[in-house]
Amino acid sequence: MDIVALLLTLRLAIVTMLVLVLLALPLSYWLATTRWRGKIFIEAFASLPIVLPPTVLGFYLLVLLGPQTAFGRQMIRLLGHPLAFSFSGLVVGSVLYSLPFAVQPMVAGFAAIDPAMLEAAAVLGSGRWDILRRIMLPLSRSSILVAAVLTFAHTVGEFGVVLMIGGNLPGLTRTLSIALYDQVQDFAYAQANRTALVLLVVSFAALTLLYSQRRKGRLV
Amino acid sequence: MSNLPPSHDTQTAWLSFQLHHAFAGFHLDAQVALHHPWTILFGPSGSGKTTILRTIAGLFTPDSGQISLQHETIFARLKNSPCTANVPPLRRRIGLVTQAPALFPHYTAAQNVGFSLRRLSATERNRKVQALLQIFHVEGLHDHFPSQLSGGQQQRIALARTLAAEPRLLLLDEPFSALDRTSRQEALSGLRQWLQQREVPVLMVTHDLAEAFSASDEVVVLESGSVIAQGKADEVLHIQRAQLLKELGVPSGP
Repeated sequence: MDIVALLLTLRLAIVTMLVLVLLALPLSYWLATTRWRGKIFIEAFASLPIVLPPTVLGFYLLVLLGPQTAFGRQMIRLLGHPLAFSFSGLVVGSVLYSLPFAVQPMVAGFAAIDPAMLEAAAVLGSGRWDILRRIMLPLSRSSILVAAVLTFAHTVGEFGVVLMIGGNLPGLTRTLSIALYDQVQDFAYAQANRTALVLLVVSFAALTLLYSQRRKGRLV
Repeated sequence: MSNLPPSHDTQTAWLSFQLHHAFAGFHLDAQVALHHPWTILFGPSGSGKTTILRTIAGLFTPDSGQISLQHETIFARLKNSPCTANVPPLRRRIGLVTQAPALFPHYTAAQNVGFSLRRLSATERNRKVQALLQIFHVEGLHDHFPSQLSGGQQQRIALARTLAAEPRLLLLDEPFSALDRTSRQEALSGLRQWLQQREVPVLMVTHDLAEAFSASDEVVVLESGSVIAQGKADEVLHIQRAQLLKELGVPSGP
């Protein structure tokens, strides 16, 4: 059992989840409330990772973050090292890769709130921020939880993006799913079996938590 | 129709508005000045009543028009130009109660009523909420969530929630139409009790003739987006009244 890889995977999943919830909340709020028609392009872009092969996303990120582009050179100068083949690079890749799993439940949650309720709050003297804090966030609590669990589970199960952008550096970018691949390549099936089981249990536990909370949420 | 065209004396009016808006196949073109404490906006479905109330509350922006509330211009816009005045709904201090109570499902009845009172201290807020719940005979429902309340109870909580914000104008969009008689009377008597202590004018929308005749100082009759009459109920609604009596088989007098 590759404990180092397990801890790295959990760390990546948790950091990605936190970054994504913070990033997707304002984006989803904007998508759910704006009347700007061009938002369809943003929505399509944010959903791309669902259909795109992870290797395509990883490839573009690798190019973008590398010394071939001005942006990549700027990042290298800023950080002192390339973003690719580092933990931060993995986080950037994971955040993009799981973006739709955070944005879609949140947008659906915000959009499901009865507009009459938001108007009632406005007429009662609430501004946008107050309505968000006291009406929209509490009423979409379960959607935010769904987003958090899905991004966590999705990041745990990530393979292609991590391999492309992170390489396979033990302790640095080698996550469980990649360790599993290596173990199978080495014919270490007993080890691979344990790794696979851990991945299965973590994902199953995350989704069980999700559904248990959903059932509770129905009562409110 | 003695009062056609309606009086436009905006000097003494507490609310005056002129609104123009073209929907697909519908043209709203209404100009009204209101002087009485309780005014009924009467008209058939689709005559533009709800749009007028939503516009006054700031929830809808018409093509052009002007709204003055207690001599303050809260909305002004010339055709095809941006608004020169448009006070956002949260600063208009206008109460709006519609057919749907739209209570906040994650707050208790008391929290709903106290929604606009977050600047008050907890004791002051409780006192005010409790007083309003008492007026509407729902003080026992303090800790109930909206899902545990009947439609009539929800509507009374919604009224109490609106009054808690101390509006300077109360807009009622058929708030009692879905209620049974008892609930309706309890809601109305609570509302009257509250209004007695304050000088808050009411503009109430209805398409119910009986409601238009009861307890109103003035009726504004709206038809397909235009004001066709304004005055006392028996002056401006005699045609509708005669029609209703005929339908009921009652001789309509001389």
